[in-house]
Amino acid sequence: MNMANKTDKSRRRFLQKLGIAGASTVAGSALLLQGCSDSNKASGNKVKVLTADNKLVEVDVAHLKPGDKIQDLSYLQKRGREGIPGKKFVMVVDLAKCKNARKCMKACQSAHQLKPEMHHINVLEMEDPVKKTSYWMPKTCQHCDNPPCVSVCPVDATFKRQDGIVLIDNERCIGCRFCVAACPYSARTFNWTEPKNSDQYAEVTYDMELNVPQKKGTVTKCAFSADRLREGKLPYCVSACPNGVYYFGDQNEDLVTNGTTKKTVRLSHLLEENAAYTLMPELGTQPSVYYLPPREDKG
Amino acid sequence: MKNNKGYHIIILFCLCFLAVANVNAQSDWQVPVEANEKLSPFLFDDDMVLEGRVAYENSCTSCHGTPSQDDFTPMSPPPGDPASEPFQAQSDGSMFYKIKTGRGTMPKFADAFADDELWNIVAYIRSFNENYKQELPNMEGIVIPEYAMKLSFDENVDKLVVKVFAEELPQPEVSVSAYVMGTFGKHLLGKAQTNELGIAYVDVDPTLPGDEEGRVNVMVKATKGFARAKVEEHMVMAKATERHSAIEGRHIWSTDRMAPIWLKITFFVSVFGVWFALLFIVFGLRNIKKARKEA
Repeated sequence: MNMANKTDKSRRRFLQKLGIAGASTVAGSALLLQGCSDSNKASGNKVKVLTADNKLVEVDVAHLKPGDKIQDLSYLQKRGREGIPGKKFVMVVDLAKCKNARKCMKACQSAHQLKPEMHHINVLEMEDPVKKTSYWMPKTCQHCDNPPCVSVCPVDATFKRQDGIVLIDNERCIGCRFCVAACPYSARTFNWTEPKNSDQYAEVTYDMELNVPQKKGTVTKCAFSADRLREGKLPYCVSACPNGVYYFGDQNEDLVTNGTTKKTVRLSHLLEENAAYTLMPELGTQPSVYYLPPREDKG
Repeated sequence: MKNNKGYHIIILFCLCFLAVANVNAQSDWQVPVEANEKLSPFLFDDDMVLEGRVAYENSCTSCHGTPSQDDFTPMSPPPGDPASEPFQAQSDGSMFYKIKTGRGTMPKFADAFADDELWNIVAYIRSFNENYKQELPNMEGIVIPEYAMKLSFDENVDKLVVKVFAEELPQPEVSVSAYVMGTFGKHLLGKAQTNELGIAYVDVDPTLPGDEEGRVNVMVKATKGFARAKVEEHMVMAKATERHSAIEGRHIWSTDRMAPIWLKITFFVSVFGVWFALLFIVFGLRNIKKARKEA
């Protein structure tokens, strides 16, 4: 009896083991097959997004559509830190064309939740002491290759990405304003008060590429509209200009596109033919924003 | 007093005359019947609209403003908004004629733009009219050939070679335009016409940077009348360039997370070294004190 029991047990155990092994083989190969068929599409990296009819769904990163509002803070933070590989964004400002329409400033302020007195881009009137005339100069963050603001930040809140963009993470910013003091271009501004329409943005997940929602007690500045660049669109200010002042593009491609006319030209030719310059080159900050000097014959 | 009244009447009369003259100036731009009935030899599509937009922004915006925004320059006679009713009520041929020949303050664009470029501008202006349907010529009995293209790059002369076929037959006199696709727009490499062998050559600047293998995205369009074709290819024809990250191998952060390892080692070795030296001296002094007590 004992012996029989033993054999029965071992047989049962054997059958059990065989069953488990068989089931796991089937399941494993099914998973493997699934993995093979989906390997081109899914990356296995899930994020939460808000659909057009305001439903929160979880989708794979590879299946994201440009209009999706991503609700996953950690994903947005990671994406914002990494930047877009293989790119080096540059802007060219043609001062001969600027007529102080200030459409760039308005587009920027409405996109980045800024009050009228706060500027990521500001159009300044410049006096020419030699010719006794003045011209308009739009000034943004210069996205320096040697950014003094980044070197002084004690908490790694402001940083430079692989695509050349200098961003701020206001989740880390402690509001010390060292960067404001370090920036020779006065490109940075501080949220002294509650940002514009802050109640409307209360539920919005923070996206550092857009730097919205803004937070009281943190520094903010031009982000080269990194959120738009990710979608292959030109920055807010560049597209809003009615006078063809801005060219924007990728230095690696040597191509820049005019935001108004949409004409794409070679960056190196444009800079060379128009005697382009950068602001305060003697500081060695190596800006990514180039200026074409104002001319009298064109415009 | 009486004199003053007469003065007013003269001013009023002059103003009325000016207003009438203005209206006349707009309405009596006579377009020859033949030109008025002229139809575009091209089918208006998105590419034409985009190219028309570039031309419009460069040459027309300064007076006509942005279409549908009513922001044209106040002039006499007023240039008007091309998206407005009086503009859109005209025929395509009439628009083409007026842009080409010009009159008074409206410049003549015949020398500035080729016919196909003028049609691009018409296509752009028409894109603001939702009800517009392009009038096409009578196409009965006319077969529109379906083009196929083969692209290659001749690295000996730095030229893009475009062969245009329709049903295996080479197509001569086809207008070919080649573009390099950038991140935000397309850059015109050049335009050419196919020869009797159906081949067109477009110059390529050898300094144009490509990816690591010298590849760029090329878009080529072939058009002849209503026949058109478009191909996009990722092909080797530019200078191979390595793309570096803007922060590769650099340590511009003040936080230790991104600091280089040699800096971390030097820092910790020197800090511990100083502590060790201090402790060594303190213990040494204590030992001396102890020794003195024992002695």
